[in-house]
Amino acid sequence: MCAATAFAQKTDKNVAFIEYPDFPEAHSTWGSIGYNAASNTVHIGVTNHANNIGLYTFDATTNAMKLNGFIKDLAHLRPYQWQGKVHSKIVAAPDGSIFFSTDGGESREEYLMEHPQGYAGGFFMKWNPKTGLQNLGIGMQYESIKDVDIDPKTGTIYGITYPQAHFLVYNPEKNQVRDLGRLASSHVPRVLFTDWWGNCYYVDWRQRLVKYEKDSDSLVFARESLPAFPGTPGSKIITGITAYAKDEAKGIIYLITYGAKLIAFHPEKNGIGKVEDLGGVIETDKANAWGPYVPNLNIGKNGKLYYIIGGHGNYVLKDKTVLVEYNPATHKKTILREYPITEITEATGCDIRDKDGNLYFAARRNPSGLGDSTRPFMIQFNPEKELRK
Amino acid sequence: MRNLTKKILFPALYLACSAPLLAQYTFFTPKDAFVIEVSLPNSAEKRLPMYRNAITSLTVQGDRILGGTTAKEGLSPYLFVASISGRKVTALKDLQDIIPGQKSIATGFCKGAGNHLFAGTMGQKNQPAGHLLQVSIGNENAIEVKDLGVPVAGEGIFTLLSNKQGTELYGISYPGGRFFTYNIATKKTQVFDQVAPKEKHLKDAHDFAIGPEVYLCKALVQDNAGLVYGSTAGNRVFAFDPAKKSFQFLETPLPAVWGREVLGQVEAWAKAPDGKLYGGNAGDGQLFVLNSVTKKIKNLGKPMMMGRLQALAFARDGKLYGLAGGAPGYSHLFSYDENAGFVDLGNPEFKMVEPGIEQGILWRGFQLSTLAASADGKYVVMGEDEALSQLMIFPVGQ
Repeated sequence: MCAATAFAQKTDKNVAFIEYPDFPEAHSTWGSIGYNAASNTVHIGVTNHANNIGLYTFDATTNAMKLNGFIKDLAHLRPYQWQGKVHSKIVAAPDGSIFFSTDGGESREEYLMEHPQGYAGGFFMKWNPKTGLQNLGIGMQYESIKDVDIDPKTGTIYGITYPQAHFLVYNPEKNQVRDLGRLASSHVPRVLFTDWWGNCYYVDWRQRLVKYEKDSDSLVFARESLPAFPGTPGSKIITGITAYAKDEAKGIIYLITYGAKLIAFHPEKNGIGKVEDLGGVIETDKANAWGPYVPNLNIGKNGKLYYIIGGHGNYVLKDKTVLVEYNPATHKKTILREYPITEITEATGCDIRDKDGNLYFAARRNPSGLGDSTRPFMIQFNPEKELRK
Repeated sequence: MRNLTKKILFPALYLACSAPLLAQYTFFTPKDAFVIEVSLPNSAEKRLPMYRNAITSLTVQGDRILGGTTAKEGLSPYLFVASISGRKVTALKDLQDIIPGQKSIATGFCKGAGNHLFAGTMGQKNQPAGHLLQVSIGNENAIEVKDLGVPVAGEGIFTLLSNKQGTELYGISYPGGRFFTYNIATKKTQVFDQVAPKEKHLKDAHDFAIGPEVYLCKALVQDNAGLVYGSTAGNRVFAFDPAKKSFQFLETPLPAVWGREVLGQVEAWAKAPDGKLYGGNAGDGQLFVLNSVTKKIKNLGKPMMMGRLQALAFARDGKLYGLAGGAPGYSHLFSYDENAGFVDLGNPEFKMVEPGIEQGILWRGFQLSTLAASADGKYVVMGEDEALSQLMIFPVGQ
């Protein structure tokens, strides 16, 4: 266990960079972060991006980061059941248990050639600080599970597989996995999200919302595609949504697309709700409006949105990631911070806010700026007050 | 090891995990290949609904593609027509409107006299009885379907073939595996028990935990002398003589991997211009050639490691194209010719341009189950077997 420590000069009274202890080979995080309201904790899956994943808990009350153990040991996995990373978000049940899924993370995960060290498939997993980790089994043979979400009322887990993009509905009580079929094409959109009734959303290849409607136990497809800038390439359309954040009080789920659109989605219990185009994630001047890459989104207690733009070699400012505030009341977008990509190369994470209003991102940095020798860390950010030490 | 990991493995992994997908393999992307969007829920376009569109029967007539589908249990299949030159679906026909309660059209289409095609259906799990369909494409691509009734009482139609003259049909019933003939003019059916699985075969199938979908003959073919060939449980090939109404069982079994003979099933045939009969064995995915004179089977090997060989067709370049593998892996498109042998072309990835996605998106075929060539061999058409299935089409050079 280690206390939260500032890493770089650029951290300030509102921002802290928090390291993951006891994992020298740690390489990255991939949206594998989530908040647990029952214990006011943040949970993170950290990977060496080969075959080892550390499961971490950050106690937001004591400001302490702890390694709970490595997935392969906690889940009693054999070498032929290797897992490359946790790519899913981490979702919490009301009883304080967390759920997530595992991912191959490598080309050898694909069932192309019956590889001698081929991939068995990604697992659904449950962890509870009192009872430890429970392996809930494979979602689909040979397939990773890229993302999960939960219906907190019923405990139903939703999943999306890679590379075939099959939508899964898993009932842990009955150990029943239902495959509702393939929904995408040459790319697997990475993000599932749920509304406050427990319905789950994804997108099809036209970037139309697809809703698993629990009352009708069926998939409901939106008639229209989500808003996109003119000229948005097809490769961006099929990639879908990259991030979301919920404002339940206002009945809005904010979305960001791979084509850099910010959207206010107003879900309805039955059917697809209204979609509101809030414009681009940032002013791009002469550059393509659909270009910026935003794989994260948080919402403050003040109702404003916060996101970090940049990653995968795609930056709106040369070699810099930027932390942006969006005010839904005024529609104003403001760059709050700029970071060299040697300090923040990329950040992921959706809708992670603790009781104090601190927001969290799962980030990584490449200090050398060369290759992909990154180190993961967590960003804690409070937009309204100084962080408590 | 750590340095090796940092210097080589991590950069490779970064590429593998970047979006969009980058990997160490490439897709089959021939020039001018394209996808026709056939299935899409809640659309103003002419599209098939979800879970009723797995493309399990396919044929090409001139510019028109005729497809037949399989539905999820409890739902009914469709027939559809698509235009190659128009690159779009032009007609749909819900089989529920003609014969309620059917689940699939999975026999493929066989030619009768004139403009008529024939196909067979399978019912639902608890009521498997299937019907013979006479299908034709009328004016403005309208699909006309005539119900010719149930040829084998209580049984579905698993396999269907027409003779060269287009006057008689041959089929395998499901789940009993009985061979039948149907005279198109007289509408008379004759049923034979010779190729139905015997008690020993059923015990073997039980021990292997396989059902009739796996051990019944999935495809029939007729040689130039008029004999009809298919497989039986137990890894055997039979020949039916329509003139004598008699069966013979070939001495040479289907090719098999040792110990897996129970899985032998012919699921595809293609007749070469020279009359050679090429077959695909589902059990272990071997391609074989049957000499109709000597009645010998020659194992040509496997295009890939997986089992299954679901479809075969010759194109105008003289090559045999086929679909190997399948769930729980992916189908691979392959080609074969006597000189070059097998080429595993892998997953195709073609462009889909449709209203609303005019810029085009890429479509990767994972579960391809049907393949047909146009009469001139210029186009090869593949149908997906998914919850939302599309057509993938590529042109073939001379």
